[in-house]
Amino acid sequence: MADTICRTLRDGGLEGEHAPALTIKDSKASPFGFDVFNYVLTQLSNYILAGKSQSRGLVVVAYSRSPSFYVDLLKRRGIDIASSHDWIHILDCYTDPLGWKNWLIDKDISQEASSLSSFCQDVRNLDKLYSLIIEQGKGLIGQGKDRFSIAIDSVSEMVRHASISSVAGILSNLRSHDQVSSIFWLLHSDLHEIKFTSVLEYLSSMVASVEPFNQAAFGQRVDLENLSMLEQNFRKGKFHVRFKRRNGRVRVMVISMFLYFCGECADLLYRKSSYIYFTPLLV
Amino acid sequence: MATTKPRLSSFSRNLSAVSSSQTPGVKCGPNGTMFVSSGIADLDRSLVMVMEDAEAPHHMLLLRNFMSQGLVHGQPLLYASPSKDPRGFLGTLPSPASLKHDKSRDRESEQEKGLRIAWQYKKYMGENQPNFDSHRDNKQDYCNEFDLRKPLERHYFTRQRVNCVGIQDSKNLAALQEHCASFLAQHQRNDGSCALAGRIAIQSLCAPQCEHSNMDWEMLSFIKSLKGMVRSSNAVVVITFPPSLLSLSSTKRWQHMADTLLSVAAIPDEDKELAKLLSGYQDMVGLLNVHKVARLNTQVPFILEATTFSIKLQKRRFLVLECLNQAPVDGSSGSSYGTSGSCSGSSKAGTLDF
Repeated sequence: MADTICRTLRDGGLEGEHAPALTIKDSKASPFGFDVFNYVLTQLSNYILAGKSQSRGLVVVAYSRSPSFYVDLLKRRGIDIASSHDWIHILDCYTDPLGWKNWLIDKDISQEASSLSSFCQDVRNLDKLYSLIIEQGKGLIGQGKDRFSIAIDSVSEMVRHASISSVAGILSNLRSHDQVSSIFWLLHSDLHEIKFTSVLEYLSSMVASVEPFNQAAFGQRVDLENLSMLEQNFRKGKFHVRFKRRNGRVRVMVISMFLYFCGECADLLYRKSSYIYFTPLLV
Repeated sequence: MATTKPRLSSFSRNLSAVSSSQTPGVKCGPNGTMFVSSGIADLDRSLVMVMEDAEAPHHMLLLRNFMSQGLVHGQPLLYASPSKDPRGFLGTLPSPASLKHDKSRDRESEQEKGLRIAWQYKKYMGENQPNFDSHRDNKQDYCNEFDLRKPLERHYFTRQRVNCVGIQDSKNLAALQEHCASFLAQHQRNDGSCALAGRIAIQSLCAPQCEHSNMDWEMLSFIKSLKGMVRSSNAVVVITFPPSLLSLSSTKRWQHMADTLLSVAAIPDEDKELAKLLSGYQDMVGLLNVHKVARLNTQVPFILEATTFSIKLQKRRFLVLECLNQAPVDGSSGSSYGTSGSCSGSSKAGTLDF
């Protein structure tokens, strides 16, 4: 069922329609938004490589992880990196977002990643960022009527450097660009006022919220009674999706989500190898 | 022709005798007001505000009908939108429904008039069959129904008739105010006679991509000044806005500013509970609520018989509003329920019917 959102992004928008836009929203109660983002990124990449999607390329706007992270992620998921410069480009807003470094050391990112990425050194100028995204996207798909998709790994980071109206402006302009097939972004809702979350929900056609499995356990004092419930919240969550359908109706889905940690790497702050599974919620 | 207007209250404006309007789509109403038909009857007031639902685009259906009707009847239009290409929206405006469709609906409503069934849901659009004014425009019979699948012909979009304004890139609302002021100045009222009426449609006024969206007091004073300007003109203004993006106090203030206040709402898809509660759920796309209806130059409030309507797209082409909360008819009196403005309708034309 979570594949429904991936398929919607895969299928893209009709002629003259705004591109489908997904907000992935999480909070500290259930901090799995980034895993969901990686899941959607991987799925969409697979569709693009298989030629099954409307889009022919993917531009990743990386604020919270370096391009090397994404290269490693795709490699681990078995995606061919060698030919990646044909279909993926990473805009690096992570290494030097404010242009503080006079020169960028080669060691900052790996060789592989540097061939797939370019730097953005002024994330405050969203008009410039918009032009960069469109330019890189067009570079991937060439001339003609093809389209590309966009992934923004955190609008929470984006809004740190720019106003809400300019973030809303760039997202709305990207959605309405003829050559953008679909767009998705991650949001950590508890970092912002409700207004910013409402703005992003207004701008998106799908809102996927990651919620704690045991709502009652969150925020309480840790003791033996609720420890197991709290532990559960760090391995499971609820995935709540609202789709705005073309006919104006809203479709709601709620499913379970399991996080599986591979090997010994279970560091919640920087999960290098975790997988996410979705199952229907048994009520 | 001499007509006695029904006295609705102790107060009524002294009127010089005004003959029925020469301008199609404009009708003289009680208390010296002029009604401009907006495509959906009973919304004909100076400042209409529509509260959007962030999850559904139903306000666009209302705007499309409003704009199309104005253009079809030669009424100049000013359209403001936060999109990069506001003019592009004109391509989605619907064409008037074909005559063939109208005739079949006429036959249906003739049959229905004879029925005395309690709480039947009559099609809202069906009751407002146009009362063909003898002074109607030669080119186009007065039209209330539009076919959403057929785009409006391009010759209606001439620059003289349609002015499109983008509001995303402006620093503030001064430019939009200027556009509205010059548009309305062309449609000033003169001693009760009507010059050609105009229409202003402003879509998503507080859209988040606009820089003015966080200037609460600027937006409020823009609305206030627009309302003042439109009072002395022969125009109607429709503004849509998403209340979820405003603070609660701002939302309340905007609601108070409106002469007529509507809201649209999305309905959940594949909801079995709702399907049991509402007949015709399969055809519904959303809901329309009427919160306030303008009463100009009078202190008598307008008590609505029905405030909630379902929005349906008949054959995916025609916007149809059906009321949901109609009470059962009192069978003993033998007359159908309600006056103009209610869904059941009556065989004689109400004061607000066009």
